[in-house]
Amino acid sequence: MSTQGTEDRLELLQGTLDLLILRTLIFGSQHGQGIARAIQQTSDEELLVEHGALYPALQRLEERGWISAKWGVSTNNRRARFYSLTSAGRKQLGKETAKWKRTAAAIERILGPEET
Amino acid sequence: MFRPKRKTSDFGAEIEAHIELETERLREQGLSHEDARTAARRAFGNVTRAQERFYESGRWLWWDDFWHDLRYALRMLRKQPAFTLVAILTLALGVGANVAIFSIVNAVLLRSLSYRDPGRLVRVSFNEPGLGLRDITFSKPELDDLATRADVFAQMSAIAGGNVAMTGVKQAERLELAVTGFDYFTMLGAVPELGRLYGPQDYDPGFSPYAVISDAFWRREFGGTPDVLGRTITLDGDPSTIVGVLAPGFHHPAVTAGNVDVWCPAGFSADPFPKPIRSNRGLNPGIVARLKPGLTLAQAQARLTSLAAQLRHDFPADYPVQAGWTIEIQPLQEFLVGNVRTMLLVLMAAVMLIVFIVSLNIANLILARASARQQEMAVRLALGASPGRMVRQALTESLLLSFIGGLAGCASAFATLGFILRFVPPSIPRLSEVRIDWVVLLFALLISILTGLVFGFVPALHSTKVALSSAIREGGRGSGYSTRTGRLRDVLIVSELAFAVVLMVGAGLLLRTLRDLLQQNPGFDPTQVVAANVWIPVPDDPKDDLYRSIAPKAAFDRELLRRMKAMPGVELAAITSDLPTSNHTVNDPQGNDVLAIEDRALESSKDLRAERIRVSPDYFKVMQSTLVAGRFFSEGDEDGKLPVVIIDETTARKYWPARDPLGRRVRFGQDPTQPWMTVVGIVKDIKSDGLDIDGVPHIYVSVYQNPNRAFSVVLRTSLPAAVLDSQIRHEIQSMDPGLPVFNVSSMNDVLDRSLASRRFSAQLVGGFAGLALLLASLGIYGLLAYMVSQRSREIGVRMALGAQRANILKLILQKGMVLAGVGVIAGVILSASTASMMASLLYGVRPHDPAVFLVVPLLLFAVAVVASYLPARRATKVDPMIALREA
Repeated sequence: MSTQGTEDRLELLQGTLDLLILRTLIFGSQHGQGIARAIQQTSDEELLVEHGALYPALQRLEERGWISAKWGVSTNNRRARFYSLTSAGRKQLGKETAKWKRTAAAIERILGPEET
Repeated sequence: MFRPKRKTSDFGAEIEAHIELETERLREQGLSHEDARTAARRAFGNVTRAQERFYESGRWLWWDDFWHDLRYALRMLRKQPAFTLVAILTLALGVGANVAIFSIVNAVLLRSLSYRDPGRLVRVSFNEPGLGLRDITFSKPELDDLATRADVFAQMSAIAGGNVAMTGVKQAERLELAVTGFDYFTMLGAVPELGRLYGPQDYDPGFSPYAVISDAFWRREFGGTPDVLGRTITLDGDPSTIVGVLAPGFHHPAVTAGNVDVWCPAGFSADPFPKPIRSNRGLNPGIVARLKPGLTLAQAQARLTSLAAQLRHDFPADYPVQAGWTIEIQPLQEFLVGNVRTMLLVLMAAVMLIVFIVSLNIANLILARASARQQEMAVRLALGASPGRMVRQALTESLLLSFIGGLAGCASAFATLGFILRFVPPSIPRLSEVRIDWVVLLFALLISILTGLVFGFVPALHSTKVALSSAIREGGRGSGYSTRTGRLRDVLIVSELAFAVVLMVGAGLLLRTLRDLLQQNPGFDPTQVVAANVWIPVPDDPKDDLYRSIAPKAAFDRELLRRMKAMPGVELAAITSDLPTSNHTVNDPQGNDVLAIEDRALESSKDLRAERIRVSPDYFKVMQSTLVAGRFFSEGDEDGKLPVVIIDETTARKYWPARDPLGRRVRFGQDPTQPWMTVVGIVKDIKSDGLDIDGVPHIYVSVYQNPNRAFSVVLRTSLPAAVLDSQIRHEIQSMDPGLPVFNVSSMNDVLDRSLASRRFSAQLVGGFAGLALLLASLGIYGLLAYMVSQRSREIGVRMALGAQRANILKLILQKGMVLAGVGVIAGVILSASTASMMASLLYGVRPHDPAVFLVVPLLLFAVAVVASYLPARRATKVDPMIALREA
């Protein structure tokens, strides 16, 4: 299922990946693969996260101090790097969420009600 | 910001973990291991790309580039050891000179004085602008007015002192004494190292019996033992109890002959001080005060000005209208260092010019290399290097060079500062505070970066402007002295020459001043003269003073001279109150006496002054000065006989311009009961106050009629001072063991010392000018030699087509001469517009001295021609066959 129909999925808009990562981490710390899985599942497999793009994004967020990382052991006993939200990251998530909602609402208003 | 960097391998491990996790998940969904792994990889996308993005996202790239550039720069420097060595050596010299001079400027001019809240300390002076007199003596009531009526000072202290004799030790010793008020230490915020410092509770109208000593004196005289407290030393015949030792960093806020050894407080109103009467202005200038909180300098000055006006109004007899007596204050720091400011700033300018010339020279060398490396640059550009990266690379190279040079400069300055300071004239105040601190290091860093930017930026920018195709092609054919590089190098050479001219003009002016001072006739012959200073103590009670009245002093003087003359090898001996050129305080107010002239109305004689010098009869013979008219003093010019004076030509010109002064009568002071003194002789001017001071009228009186306390013995002898030293001491101290004898030296050394600061600055700037000349000529030589090597093919073609060797010679020489001409003209204009800033350092030479402004350009031009001739001659040796074949 994960390998099929990728062409139907939505490409992520520029800059939204950061927001989604922060949002995912609000439920607790998670490793990269887990974050990618969570985004895909929560979006009902609508969003495509290119796994390769995820890691530079994580790196970027870590450098800005919004998330922190340490190596740990996953549920199935594998070593993985676990990311968790910092308080700065939590604040940033609030800001980004509000901004995204305003953008989405504005675009919604421009596109108008759609009868389909 | 600077968390430890995440390693690339860590990032790789994370990606590997991801793929493992994903593979596992897919296998749980029923895929085979192989398929799952492939799918996981596909979902991940391009691993290498992700790693690249990780790499680029961080500071990794910048850091890596930096290391890469640095390693590359090091490699380039190693590949050209000659260039690197020259660059680093010249830079080390330039930066080192800057660091050394700046550490002096920093300590003397920039760092604030080491007292509590030093910005609020001022120096008070009494002036009589109407008579052209500054910082005159004052009376005790005037001192009291400052304290009680002015309402501007929180604390104040008169400062006097100078010589004092310490006796009761093995041999009478001269110490440097500071006499202060009781508030002195509180005002300055000084702390003792041992014991206590005196204060207001110790008040005494005369000298208090307490003394505070310096750390250096404590160690020298008492071996640093703590039981020095309570010990008694005998100063000028009176016992003083040591109550404290000052901390080592403390400096007395006055210009003194040497470091102060002993501080004694006094009330300045009882013996041995002059009677506290307003007209009795017997206290030496030197009042330091602390402004009341909240008062600005201008407000304080305004109050003092109105106080002076009030006093002039209240006591018209003491303050004649035409004198215009005033009270003035100036910041203490300005007072202490004001006289050396110009000299230090000129030296600073000289070293900055030098480092600038050095960096221009290096820029030129780099540019020459840049032209040679044009092909390399072009290839790198063609392979996709961005212009930004190219500039960064070039700048890294220059900055690395300047840092190494700067480091070497700092190290050499650090190692040689103590040595350099020995050449710095001790007359510069605060020298003991000179050290290399963080301000100096920061300055060194700044200078290094600036020079690195200067010699790095021009070639760096140039490197990006390479026209790709032509550079690769040209580079391949090895032909080009390209116009653009050429023009840039021309500009560098011209500015280098111009700055060299400025330095050389400055050096020329200073050296001419020094030469003029050394060559002029000082009015006496300093060779074969040995001088020794003697101090006769001033006991607190005048009754204890054996030398107070004229008769015993004259007897003492005669016996002393008899003993001096009896020493083997001594021809003649004399005494003078003012040894020529050794007087530290210019315009000595003690000697600058009010004068009355008999045939002038009393009113108009109020502004007459002359310096009074007491000498024994043979003085003029010892100094071999010339008698113009009349006679010298004789043994018969003693107390009870006709009081006589000898005047110098300046006095004659000034006070008797149209008449014969011989036989006229003068009188010192304003006391009409004093007898008139008859002019019996006129001598040629003797440069008594310093070789660079003219126009001060001197009147000589006989020491037998007018004795003095501090005096110098001068001997005409062929023996060196070192041989006579102990003999002179022995003879004088066998007459009175309480008399310290000090500074026994040849008159030539005395003269030399008086020129120390001029010699220092002239030689330093002169040395730098020589260096600038060398660098500039190397610059021209390098430029032309490079041009010849680059154009050898063209020259070969020209010669093959029939050009004569003379034509080729002319071609290259012309280039050098045009450059030199433009540089010299620019330099002359620059010097002409800045030379007047040095005016106060010059004597007998105008800032726009035609000789200097003629010789310097000619010299530089001549050197430039020689420097151009060598490469030009090489150009004529080009073999057309070889040149053409190689191309």
